[in-house]
Amino acid sequence: MLTPLVVDFPFEWNYIRSIIYVSLYVSLTAVALSTLFSLPIALFVGFKDFRGKTLVTSIINTGMGFPSVVVGLVVLFAVSNQGPLGSFDLVFTTEAMIMSQFVLAAPVITGVSLAAVSSVEQNVRDAAYAMGGTKLDVAFVTIKEARYGIATAVLAGFGRAISEVGSVLIVGGNIASSDGTSVTRTITTAIQLEARQGRFETAMLLGAVLVVLVLLVNAIVVRLGSDDGGYR
Amino acid sequence: MTLEAIDVRHAYGDETVFDGVSLSVDPGEVVAIIGPSGVGKSTLLRLLALFDAPDGGEITYDDTPIWQLSEKRRLEYRRRVGMVFQEASLFDASVRRNAEYGLRVRQSWTDRLRHEVADLVGKSNGTGQALEALETVGLREQATQDAASLSGGEAQRVAFARALAYDPEVLLLDEPTSDLDPRNTAMIEDAVMEARDRDIGIVIATHDMHQAERIADRVGVLLGNEIIELGATERVFDDPNDERTRKFIDGELIY
Ligand SMILES: Nc1ncnc2c1ncn2[C@@H]1O[C@H](COP(=O)(O)OP(=O)(O)O)[C@@H](O)[C@H]1O
Ligand SMILES: [Mg+2]
Repeated sequence: MLTPLVVDFPFEWNYIRSIIYVSLYVSLTAVALSTLFSLPIALFVGFKDFRGKTLVTSIINTGMGFPSVVVGLVVLFAVSNQGPLGSFDLVFTTEAMIMSQFVLAAPVITGVSLAAVSSVEQNVRDAAYAMGGTKLDVAFVTIKEARYGIATAVLAGFGRAISEVGSVLIVGGNIASSDGTSVTRTITTAIQLEARQGRFETAMLLGAVLVVLVLLVNAIVVRLGSDDGGYR
Repeated sequence: MTLEAIDVRHAYGDETVFDGVSLSVDPGEVVAIIGPSGVGKSTLLRLLALFDAPDGGEITYDDTPIWQLSEKRRLEYRRRVGMVFQEASLFDASVRRNAEYGLRVRQSWTDRLRHEVADLVGKSNGTGQALEALETVGLREQATQDAASLSGGEAQRVAFARALAYDPEVLLLDEPTSDLDPRNTAMIEDAVMEARDRDIGIVIATHDMHQAERIADRVGVLLGNEIIELGATERVFDDPNDERTRKFIDGELIY
């Protein structure tokens, strides 16, 4: 009589810890890759005139609000047997999840970074060049001047990645292994499963973790927004 | 060590700013370019700073035509030149980091990374040359302050110091004092004189005739779209060749 109660005890720490770990691993990796990809694009779009610039800008803006299920669908197709990446065997893997969150986060990080770097004055960029800086040096100066805005961009991208359900559910499959730890189960996909199966305590706990993560990120964004000091 | 514009022309789109302009600067001399606002003083300085290629004519340094060189070789020449703009345009960092910037970009990437880390952990106490340059403009004490906390005059003095810090052979000053009060103006002018005594060649664009008279060895008058007069300061002011020069100096030419 007691056994089911123990098994059903809501807080199975290994299970919960592994879910949080998978979530953070996938989202942090996706955001790191998106940032490396997005910053050069933001600098290029912000300071170079080229044909199709308005097109690129509207792609970025559209991408910022793109539905995550659709992204998941496209990535799932890409890694499936019929898709171009089919030979890599990526269906229901964290790699596929990183790919889809990369696609979701990159437009956000690019868009917000673009606004940040565009607000760096040409005067300041000219000064770096005048002191013997190369174009690469000018790019670094621009990133440094826009550092708070760029940090905000990265955090916004992380916020989008960590809290989305659609794409990780589709490409990851919400899998837990037989020993009861997460393989591709994230906080969000676990919440929907646990809630559907009536295990509200677990769902609530994971929900609380997610809210704390998102609040933390927001607090950092607000802090950065009010910080106007340069470092010594 | 002569920087020279030879018969240069520059246009923005179809709009020719000037044509057939020649000007040179030798070590240890101050050349002032005077002329009304919008005549092309900044444009000419940008050409001399090797920022932009002229649309016609030649910019030479030690008789080497700069724009026939590869970008890499051109950088070597560009790094012998410094420029100060009308706005201070300081980086959002400390005064010291601003003053050190020119020295940093000349270092290897590993050295730069080392300094960057030392700065982040607060272990860097600054480069001697940068602090000396700050001393020249009377701001050594402010080295650890945020650049954003400086007054306009102080900021411009830092802008001057950071161009001086890496020991350029030529300094191009684009109306460096036009937004400043007399005291800060005098400090910048003193620093210019000190730079000249260190054998730096200086070209200063100004619309302040008196400033040109105070500090320049030679004066060029940019008017219309050419240099209508170029010569020793005293001669240009006392006995101009061109009637328009006299009118401009006397303030009769209003633009
Ligand atoms: N980047 C630019 N694009 C187009 N026109 C410019 C640009 N910079 C300057 N001009 C024009 O070129 C002329 C000369 O400008 P400038 O060199 O700044 O004159 P000054 O420094 O003597 O006031 C002005 O008519 C100005 O409007
Ligand atoms: Mg000007």
